[in-house]
Amino acid sequence: MHGTLNLVGYGLSAIGPAIATGLIFAAYINGVARQPESRSVLQPIAFLGFALAEALALFGLVLAFVLK
Amino acid sequence: MQITGHLASSAGFVPPSTSDFNLPPIFGHSAYLTKPIALVFFSVILISAFFILASRKSAVVPSKLQYAGESIYSFVRKDLGEEIIGSGFLAYVPFLFTLFTFVLVNNVFGIIPFMQFPAMSHVSFPYVLAGFSYFIFHAIGVKRQGLIPYLKGIAFLPGVPKFAYILLTPIEIATYFLIRPVTLALRLFANMFAGHLLLLVFIGGGNYMLHDSHLLMKFLSPFSFSFGIIMTFFEFMVQCLQAYIITLLSALFIAGALAEEH
Amino acid sequence: MARNNEEGAVWSIMGYLISGLLIWGGIGYGLDNWLHTHYFLLGGLILGAGASIYLIWLRFGRE
Repeated sequence: MHGTLNLVGYGLSAIGPAIATGLIFAAYINGVARQPESRSVLQPIAFLGFALAEALALFGLVLAFVLK
Repeated sequence: MQITGHLASSAGFVPPSTSDFNLPPIFGHSAYLTKPIALVFFSVILISAFFILASRKSAVVPSKLQYAGESIYSFVRKDLGEEIIGSGFLAYVPFLFTLFTFVLVNNVFGIIPFMQFPAMSHVSFPYVLAGFSYFIFHAIGVKRQGLIPYLKGIAFLPGVPKFAYILLTPIEIATYFLIRPVTLALRLFANMFAGHLLLLVFIGGGNYMLHDSHLLMKFLSPFSFSFGIIMTFFEFMVQCLQAYIITLLSALFIAGALAEEH
Repeated sequence: MARNNEEGAVWSIMGYLISGLLIWGGIGYGLDNWLHTHYFLLGGLILGAGASIYLIWLRFGRE
């Protein structure tokens, strides 16, 4: 077999941000469904949380390709 | 077909690889007419014929064909044009509609028997489509706002302290001119490529297990085949979704180029 | 751009993050190769991630 363990490591580390993104949007959808007028308040928070979680996933992606 | 060839010639299971996507030319040695190119030409003929037939006799009480054509058109026009681009959307509906139907038909070719190859799994096709989208949304922006204000609007976000521009301007420029077209193309390519590879794995693996001498393997191969069938339906969903997403993103880019005013 | 459209916002957030990491991480990688060090890459990546999150806050976060 050929390949690099870096990608296995990246696969494992991507689980965390995936769950985080799911939780963030689940909470956002829940909040908007309960109180539609709170959308404008929740939207920036949800996007920032998504950006923070996603940044970690992309961090792992870059490092998986760069580290030797 | 290629997979069975692999299996007959070698002892162990040969997993499908990128070489399964390089199909041989149809006639002789001319490298220009391969299966994906033939499928793309066929899709253009198919789409044109369908919509010419559907719109030839437009009646107040639509026939079934006219109804089908009109419902696809109104989906693109309402959900992608009117809702996202807003005022002045009508000028861009032809582009969005062509993009949507072209990508949709070529993707769905991936699961239609005897065609069974999504042309978009060759990365050059999505690159060209993304290139069209890229050119159009930048041209709209330049035409609307003029070259210098448009570039200035992209590079310098208002309301930021001066020193932050050193950090932010390279990111903005890279996003607009490099990352957007590449991600637009790669998203479509990667989905089609991975989906086709997935089907190859399950169908080819089932075939290999069926021809294996071990009885247990023969017994297990229907599971692989049935999973291949389930994945085919899943692929159909992904194919429609990807056609929608590339059109949605093109519409969003056009809307951004139209609306951006600083 | 397209501030009210959530799907569009999510895709452009992804784009900003990718380009921030690529640009500043790439600068760090280049400096590492040039000076034969190995800490500019990490610094560049963190700087890029921070800058793109700041940019996302500017675009989508503030009301």
